Amino acid sequence: MTTLFINDEEITVSAGTSILEACREHGADVPYFCYHPELSVAANCRMCLVEVEGWNKPAASCCTPVGEGMKVTTQSDALSKDREMMMEYLLIHHPLDCPVCDQGGACKLQDYTMEHGAKHGRYAEAKRAVIDHDLGPFVSTCMTRCIHCTRCVRFADEVAGTGDMGVLNRSDHMRIEGIVEEALESELSGNLADICPVGALLDRPSHDITRPWEVTRHKSTCTQCPQGCDIVIESRGDEVIRIKADVDGVEPWICDRGRYVHDAFRAEERILKPAIREKSGFVEVSWDESIEAVVDLLKGKRVGIVFSPDWSVEGLASIRLLHDTVFQDAKVAFDLHRRDMRVFVFEEGFSMSSAQIADADQVVILGSDLRQRLPILMQGLRKRSNEGKPVIRIGAMNYRTNSELSADALIRPRDWVAVIARAMQQLKDLGKTAAGMDAWLEKVEVRHEAGKLLADALLSDSCALLVGEEIRSHIDAAVLIHGLDLMMRAAGHAEAGSDGRNLIPEGMNTQLLSAAFGDIRASVGDLFDAANDGDLDALLLIGSDPLGDGLFSMQAKRAMGKVPLVQVGAIMGEVSEFADVILPAAAYSEVEGTFINMEGRIRMAEHPLCTIGEERPLWKVMMRMIQGFGKDVPVVDLLELRTRIEGFLPEMAAAWSTDDHDLCLSVARNRDADSISDGIEPAMSLDVVSRYSMYREGVWVRASSYLVEAGSIHALDDVLVHPNTLQAAGLNVGVCKVRTASGDFDYHIGVREDVAEGVLFIAKRGIAGDLSCEVMASLGGGQ
Amino acid sequence: MRLIKHALKTWLLWELVKGLALTMRYFFKKSITVEYPEERTPLSPRFRGLHALRRYDSGEERCIACKLCEVICPALAIVIESEEREDGSRRTTRYDIDMTKCIYCGLCQEACPVDAIVETQHFEYASETREALYYTKEMLLEVGEQYEAQITANIKADAPYR
Repeated sequence: MTTLFINDEEITVSAGTSILEACREHGADVPYFCYHPELSVAANCRMCLVEVEGWNKPAASCCTPVGEGMKVTTQSDALSKDREMMMEYLLIHHPLDCPVCDQGGACKLQDYTMEHGAKHGRYAEAKRAVIDHDLGPFVSTCMTRCIHCTRCVRFADEVAGTGDMGVLNRSDHMRIEGIVEEALESELSGNLADICPVGALLDRPSHDITRPWEVTRHKSTCTQCPQGCDIVIESRGDEVIRIKADVDGVEPWICDRGRYVHDAFRAEERILKPAIREKSGFVEVSWDESIEAVVDLLKGKRVGIVFSPDWSVEGLASIRLLHDTVFQDAKVAFDLHRRDMRVFVFEEGFSMSSAQIADADQVVILGSDLRQRLPILMQGLRKRSNEGKPVIRIGAMNYRTNSELSADALIRPRDWVAVIARAMQQLKDLGKTAAGMDAWLEKVEVRHEAGKLLADALLSDSCALLVGEEIRSHIDAAVLIHGLDLMMRAAGHAEAGSDGRNLIPEGMNTQLLSAAFGDIRASVGDLFDAANDGDLDALLLIGSDPLGDGLFSMQAKRAMGKVPLVQVGAIMGEVSEFADVILPAAAYSEVEGTFINMEGRIRMAEHPLCTIGEERPLWKVMMRMIQGFGKDVPVVDLLELRTRIEGFLPEMAAAWSTDDHDLCLSVARNRDADSISDGIEPAMSLDVVSRYSMYREGVWVRASSYLVEAGSIHALDDVLVHPNTLQAAGLNVGVCKVRTASGDFDYHIGVREDVAEGVLFIAKRGIAGDLSCEVMASLGGGQ
Repeated sequence: MRLIKHALKTWLLWELVKGLALTMRYFFKKSITVEYPEERTPLSPRFRGLHALRRYDSGEERCIACKLCEVICPALAIVIESEEREDGSRRTTRYDIDMTKCIYCGLCQEACPVDAIVETQHFEYASETREALYYTKEMLLEVGEQYEAQITANIKADAPYR
């Protein structure tokens, strides 16, 4: 710790802190442009000058570390003069177009000019103009306004990892260059508009629409991925203008998926009124009529319920209440990406926080396109990897991460068991064992060398396993997860608390789902098969779109139209085409509710957006349905509902009674689950792996025109294989026959060396969607 | 003595006589009444009457949708919506002033960086319906076209004092 004086006030900060950070921590006002707490120090704006006693020149506080007994002054006549001169210098080429600049009203340059600038400009010569860049659908540029703080350059390099962007030339000819296509490739590009201190980089979708003082800000939680970032939704009247990262939130950045999905909040696809299907199409009706229609369709029937995990905790609990009150025998499912419904030894969710993962000695990503799946977590790992700490990945595809991986292995999904067995063998040879390990190992004969990477990582003091979708959607997922748990135990990683077992869940609120639906959850595929086979009479879809998302679109497609379908949701999806009744439920941005993210962090949304139609919070819709079926309504307000939720998850009581933002739920364990491989030989030569694309997956995303546009930029070929795979089958690039258990399909097959040999990689689910339902396939002759 | 004076004034109706004398004085003086609408008083160049939106000589509208008038308006009488026009410039898609809310304080005019919104000397726009007092962008631009010469002259006349 270092003690210093700032404006004669004695303060203590940790050694190595810069003077600027010490001032910020202690509320002393120092102006700055180029400094950003999440980026490296550039010290090129010279705005943060302070005086240090005994030094004959003012010091740039952002790059000067504190010293013991240092006496710092942040306000003096000489400093005012310096700041005035710096402002005059910065404003030489800055255009005087504040009235037409979107940054106006929230601009550092504007604020500091008022505070520190001279009364009049003396510069009468010609100003320069700079050519703008095309930064794609999300960022609009006006480079003439740039003051060369280089925050964007450092962001691209350090955070987005796209790099190759820099400053060209000097003085009057200075330009930010190379920014163009590079930044566009980042899933974090929307943050560029937030970090620019002036109006050079602006948010394109909301360009020229509003002023900062016009918008109302609603703190909320993003439910577009299990990360559940803290967001601020900005609205004006009924319109939603933009979504930004919450500056008080845990993560400083948010991804483009969470940011630009706001377009869908007011899209035409929104369900705003109850509707019943007639011959001519949907007819809007009153709530009473629609509930009557639902009762007619569902009363006394064998019902299958499929819902999305992204509703608020209250909404999800009300689905359970509906099940318990009206449909006790109904099949309930929500895992669109899980084939193996056996109990997992460790439930879905993270036992470590993102910060703990970043600090762990070893991080192993097991079968996940983390950059698409959890972009913000990947950003943390990228930062870690820039610091030289190891990040290891094992998976079926060399997914692009924009950072260096310390080790990397490509394997087929069928090899997972061999990889784990190889690692387990290594631990066993070193004398590290756990109860049940021998029994697990006995059943597996094959070994895969990639297991060495895993075992080496497990031998470190702290190891974070990030278990991704390739394992979670594996047909033998329970076996693999049991194997991983055995190894963690053998390697001596703590059994409770931050123990490195992180299973990336389907969506938000996974802790509540395990607790409230653990005993009744069924497989989505089985549920649709049952509907297809006549074992179910009706389907109730609550926010889920199994036709557009997930691994069971083929089963869902077969079942659609065979049985009556009631859709409850905030937004139409591909399933709406088959719905008989549609009931509107409020979007996640429009409800007062609670959300739990993958780490168990609890967030409450208290000031939601206004609703624009007749939509109601999901729990009210569920209660209205229960009432329609002539049962007693179990809860009448949020308080009562929350008491019921505490029955499933007692820890939630603390979240509702305190303001503790750091409260974290732990991940449930099922110690008794011991799934062991049955060692069946795969029937076909290729394993099917489908890509999770952040621009396609999710019903909200497909309704957002911005994200659809971004998705078309990021597109890959439909179906990809390794060149050797194609060669082994004696085929060429082009249309080939893909043979699967459920029939033959013709697809254009592309090649890419990033795909593991023996893997059929589905890059575009929208087109090759039905193929992702398959686990195995083989290639036949071309057309 | 004081009581006698008071009694005399009361009984001789002295106050009435004084009042009538004043009336008779004005009766023979020159009248200053302006016979509106046939006659009008002069108006200051700073007079704050009906609002107008102005155009440049090229025909391009001046307003750049900075919304400073909207935010400064103490009566919240102005509503603006904007978007990026095809040529990339920032323009209003809606510019409404509710004259029933407006208190004619002139702050909008003061806030405007491009002299787009001004208050003219025109004040005779009373109507029988409230709807007619809800001025849209088109109506305001029309007022501007109609009174442009007068507006220019007034700005010029006031310029030395600003």
